Amino acid sequence: MLGFSRNDMKKLIALVALLIIGGLVLFGVGHTNSTKEGYSLTLQEANKNKILLLTVGSEPRTLDPQQAQGVTEHHIIMAMIEGLVAPSIDDQSKAVPGMADHWEHNDDYSVWTFHIGENRKWSNGDPVTAEDFVFSYKRMLTASFGAQYSENLFILKGAEDYYRGKITDFEQVGVKALDDHTLRIELVGPTPYLLSLVQHDSWLPVNPKAVLSFGKIDTRDSKWTSAENFVANGPFKMKSWRPNDVIEVVRNPLYWDAGNVKLNGINFYSIENSNTGERAFQAGQLHKTDQVPLDKVPYYRRRHPDLIRIDPYEGVYFYRINVARKPLDNPKVRLALNLAVDRDAIVKNILREDQRPATGYTPPGMGDYQPLNKIAYDPERARQLLAEAGYPHGKGFPKFTIHFNTVESHRAIAEAIQQMWKEELNIDVSLENQEWKVYLDTQNSKNYDLSRSGWIGDFMDPVTFLSMWTTGNGNNNTNWGNPKFDAFIEQAARTGDPQARLDILHRAEDLFLSEPPVVLVYWYTNAYLLEPSVQNWNPLVLGNHNYKYIDLKAEREPAK
Amino acid sequence: MATGTASIEPAPIRADELVQGTSLWKDAWFRLRKNHVALFGLYTFCTIALLCLVVPFFTGYTYEQTEISLKASAPMEPIFLRTEARKAGEPKKSFIALSNLEDEFLEKSQSDRKAIVAKIAEGEVYQEGRNTYQRSSQRHVFGTDPLGRDLLTRVLVGGRISLAVGFAATLVSVCIGVLWGATAGFAGGKIDTVMMRFADILYALPFTVIVILLMVMFGRNFILLFVAIGAVEWLNMARIVRGQIISLKNQEFIEAAISLGLPSHRILFRHLIPNVIGSIIIYATLTVPNVMLLEAVLSFLGLGVQPPLSSWGVLIDEGSRTMETSIWLLVCPAIFFSLTLFCLNFLGDGLRDALDPKASKD
Repeated sequence: MLGFSRNDMKKLIALVALLIIGGLVLFGVGHTNSTKEGYSLTLQEANKNKILLLTVGSEPRTLDPQQAQGVTEHHIIMAMIEGLVAPSIDDQSKAVPGMADHWEHNDDYSVWTFHIGENRKWSNGDPVTAEDFVFSYKRMLTASFGAQYSENLFILKGAEDYYRGKITDFEQVGVKALDDHTLRIELVGPTPYLLSLVQHDSWLPVNPKAVLSFGKIDTRDSKWTSAENFVANGPFKMKSWRPNDVIEVVRNPLYWDAGNVKLNGINFYSIENSNTGERAFQAGQLHKTDQVPLDKVPYYRRRHPDLIRIDPYEGVYFYRINVARKPLDNPKVRLALNLAVDRDAIVKNILREDQRPATGYTPPGMGDYQPLNKIAYDPERARQLLAEAGYPHGKGFPKFTIHFNTVESHRAIAEAIQQMWKEELNIDVSLENQEWKVYLDTQNSKNYDLSRSGWIGDFMDPVTFLSMWTTGNGNNNTNWGNPKFDAFIEQAARTGDPQARLDILHRAEDLFLSEPPVVLVYWYTNAYLLEPSVQNWNPLVLGNHNYKYIDLKAEREPAK
Repeated sequence: MATGTASIEPAPIRADELVQGTSLWKDAWFRLRKNHVALFGLYTFCTIALLCLVVPFFTGYTYEQTEISLKASAPMEPIFLRTEARKAGEPKKSFIALSNLEDEFLEKSQSDRKAIVAKIAEGEVYQEGRNTYQRSSQRHVFGTDPLGRDLLTRVLVGGRISLAVGFAATLVSVCIGVLWGATAGFAGGKIDTVMMRFADILYALPFTVIVILLMVMFGRNFILLFVAIGAVEWLNMARIVRGQIISLKNQEFIEAAISLGLPSHRILFRHLIPNVIGSIIIYATLTVPNVMLLEAVLSFLGLGVQPPLSSWGVLIDEGSRTMETSIWLLVCPAIFFSLTLFCLNFLGDGLRDALDPKASKD
């Protein structure tokens, strides 16, 4: 760090700011930090009182699990609503009992029976029944409710027909309350990964009484999610919600496993800016941030390796290729573009958060599925492929554009790749950044050559990554399609044997990568700052922590 | 006194001592030369412009050439060469800055790391696995940005863009503004009202919206950036010129010109506009920095210059994001930018004094 301390640096910054104030005022204003003064709890007090202080990013749009879309919402809802099963302490491919005490399935994993525990209660005192789940799934599948994730439930028999209005009787949908404590789920095909699936927000139960007392089954954004009205069944219940500041949850005494809940409460602060989060952490106002500013990572790794945590995270960063445009319709060209990217250099020098160069599409950690090792940096072969495609030394290769949304790191990566393609393949690429909504629109309307993308897994199965590439899928957006690939995905959905199923998916991905409609870049990691006083915060690939296991040690002083 | 009477003869007048009429510009230059601050501004500005034009050819780097293992290295920071032996083919060479050298040995303890770094820094060739580390003679005067691109080259090439945008857009705005304002002011009456209300309407529209509309209509293009900014910036110029023209047009010399039967366009261009040239130049010098700032705003919105090309505004914006870790990325372009702005302001000030036709000739 150039040999001067942070304090000196601050003085220098102040001096420079004064000198160039005229030119800089305009730029500075854009980056003002809204560090909140209102934190009343210091870390020591919080440790003593066992209150966990977290930030989960921006302000949640809703806390209704069936309307939630983002990771932010999910991390808060997780504290208050528990699904049929819950995440285990350290292994995301396993599940522990949640509302269901035990469960069983038939041989090909297409019919599941969940036995809901007798002692499961809502925070208003009502028992949790199988009917509550049926009501919740009916709400998800009510088209006029307009839940963004309704499609997640289409694996239930008859669910899609009900959603589309082809059948009007919910009795015909494959979810039944055999009695108060027995829920039977019939699926359209074998689904060995159902336990991972039902932990997603879209499968969580809501209290029918709470929902119906503030509207009908399809009322959106009703008042039942406000702090006074929220009915929880998880380890915590809501105490207060100050918009754009903090959501406080406290221990739920009616929770079935309340004896094993270690914390007395959690405060979720909404801090959008990663620099603000880092400063709040430094000032002892947070136990954990949700990310680390990119340029601070080396500093923490060198000087405070005890505070920074870098966990693998189920996501892949890539560029979509619009295969309808020439010359990108040629699989050889697309492969050449892939082979000319030095992922290692990007990961090591630009990102520096231990991200792994993506050698396949599905990241490691998806249960027993082995990630493919098919795409590697091989400029020699890339040049050869490009020559075979008719562009020796990039001669005559039309100029094309990479679209990305306006974020610093996206730009840095794009510029690096632009230069790599220029050096290795002699191809000229231009870059165009767009504001988030315009960018989404460009991507959805397929009005691009290459478009930056990322995909985060929703559950612990490679299907969450691969099924999006079927022909015409709403998330495909590349014009790519291969009937063979579609057949593989279809076949996998009908295969009950877990190993055989994964083999089929493997072949599907292999086919996908032999004519890739994507340029792979890296597999995500999740870097964050964590106080050592937080216990049992284990690295989990989906990042879903079961808060009942988290504990705080009182003794340690706040970080400096 | 034997010398007789001294004849008092008038000294012969030599032709070159005749008081010659001097032009407005000659006078102006004469006065400007006496204004040291303005002169300093002029020379410094010319130097910067010359540097931007010439030096990028001699830095040995291009503005787009990345060396990503180098990352953001500080000005004149020692740089080391890492040679990675590979199973097949040429060994891979990459450059690493002193401050990042420690990260190469993160698996070792902190004291070990420091010792190794010190050894390599002293010039020792160090082998670690397949990698060989040694000193390199390479230097970056202003350091490098996070992608390892030479900052000096980028600042100077960015300066070309900023200056080009600044001057071209100002020229556009001056042309439109002066014509519009002078016509409106001179014509007066209904024409004036209609023309100025039209300017008011444009003034009421948000600037970015207009530029985005222009971009959508004509596509993204570097030249268009000049036109778009100029097309928005002329409004103030038009107002200032109109006000001046109105105050001038009732003065005697214009009445004289009218009574001599000069056509309107001749009165406008020969008699009115030269009299407001001072205000035009002053306002134009103020417009240049303004336009440079606007260019930076547009670039940030994704409507300006596209990477890897950059401008001072873009470089400062990038630098301000990393100022806690790599302050030079902010300071270097900011110094160039603010120096240019100062110079232009000094120069504008000097020009105003120099061009004022009411100032005494001395």
